[in-house]
Amino acid sequence: MEYGYYPGCSLTGSAHKLDKGIKKVFAKQGHTLKEIPDWNCCGAFEYGDRKELAGFSKKNLEKARGHFSEIVAPCPACYKNLREADEKREFAVTHPLDLFDEAFFAAMKQDRDLKGQVFTPYYGCILLRPKETAIRNNTVMEETITRFGGDVAGEAVKDRCCGGNQIFINKDVTEKLSRLVLDKSRGTIVVFCPLCHMAMKTFSGERKVVYYTDLLLYIMGENSTL
Amino acid sequence: MPKTDHAIELTDYERQDFSVCLGCKICASVCTVNDLDLSTNPQEMLQKLFLGKDVAADDPLVRFCTGCYRCTGACPWEIRIPDVVRALRQVHATESPFEKAFKGSVAIWGRVYEPYVLMRAVPFLLKGGYIKHMMRWMEYMGIHLPHKVKRT
Ligand code: SF4
Ligand code: SF4
Ligand code: SF4
Ligand code: SF4
Repeated sequence: MEYGYYPGCSLTGSAHKLDKGIKKVFAKQGHTLKEIPDWNCCGAFEYGDRKELAGFSKKNLEKARGHFSEIVAPCPACYKNLREADEKREFAVTHPLDLFDEAFFAAMKQDRDLKGQVFTPYYGCILLRPKETAIRNNTVMEETITRFGGDVAGEAVKDRCCGGNQIFINKDVTEKLSRLVLDKSRGTIVVFCPLCHMAMKTFSGERKVVYYTDLLLYIMGENSTL
Repeated sequence: MPKTDHAIELTDYERQDFSVCLGCKICASVCTVNDLDLSTNPQEMLQKLFLGKDVAADDPLVRFCTGCYRCTGACPWEIRIPDVVRALRQVHATESPFEKAFKGSVAIWGRVYEPYVLMRAVPFLLKGGYIKHMMRWMEYMGIHLPHKVKRT
């Protein structure tokens, strides 16, 4: 299957690891990701004017029109903005986490398992809230971990806020909130949001923080992803 | 006219929409800002807006709301409080130098070019004690040249 791909700014910069991971996972499953031509930034959460903010994503949808009907956007903020801008539900704007379903795992080539390893799946906010744009399966990361024999910890913090989007405004806020999450998690922390990844990485010390795609690639047999 | 009324215009709400607020304060009970040992109550903010009063730029909610939507998720009316906060920040023009740089980059390239944003925000990053985190970021951050900003 061919999907329209909206990487957003962070995946072309500091979250390039997530970009590569997503592309690899999709390629291994026989799917193609084709970038929306000349896409622009979605505006993240930086614009207080709702119309101005929606305007960025509307422009992106215009650029996708005629090329794709299904659009995949890995960054939770990009995904939310695109979905909200698609008022008439003209496109299927999908978060990759919703594509890791039964059929996906049935077709996946497993090379390793996660036995003896402990993980804390951390979703943060925007994947889970608000309801209208939340991912369909909010236990997909836990299911993946247990499916391949790993242990899940830290359930209580999976939807807490790491304060990531305050990191360049009031860093102390992010530090305090991230530490609340870090203190209650065990083992390797598995994230999807690039901003959660940055906040967690910044304050995690020796603790391991990986993207969910790193986990999939590890199971699929890629080296040095975990 | 208080600045506040203008903020509501930036959201998808109208002032009367806040009349549905039940005053139940569920939003306050889940608000992330209250994890910071600050006491804040989104319901009070909505009430001020409803009554046409100003909400100050240094209100803890305006300053520290993380946009987590925990309030929206718990509110019986699913009021999108962080959207209101962002509008208030806009009318109060309280963006940090980093946010200004972000918008500057979007205005120039249509995208956020991280090295540009970081360079523009250097004085702020120095003053704010961010340098100690820089090494950590370098570990995984790909610094690339401007010609690669548009890769399609
Ligand atoms: S949310 Fe972040 S990454 Fe996504 S496009 Fe917008 S700025 Fe860029
Ligand atoms: S970065 Fe933090 S604030 Fe943003 S979604 Fe992730 S948890 Fe929430
Ligand atoms: S979005 Fe803002 S107001 Fe709502 S719970 Fe989170 S921090 Fe509090
Ligand atoms: S949860 Fe909703 S209804 Fe209850 S006080 Fe807060 S805003 Fe009002």
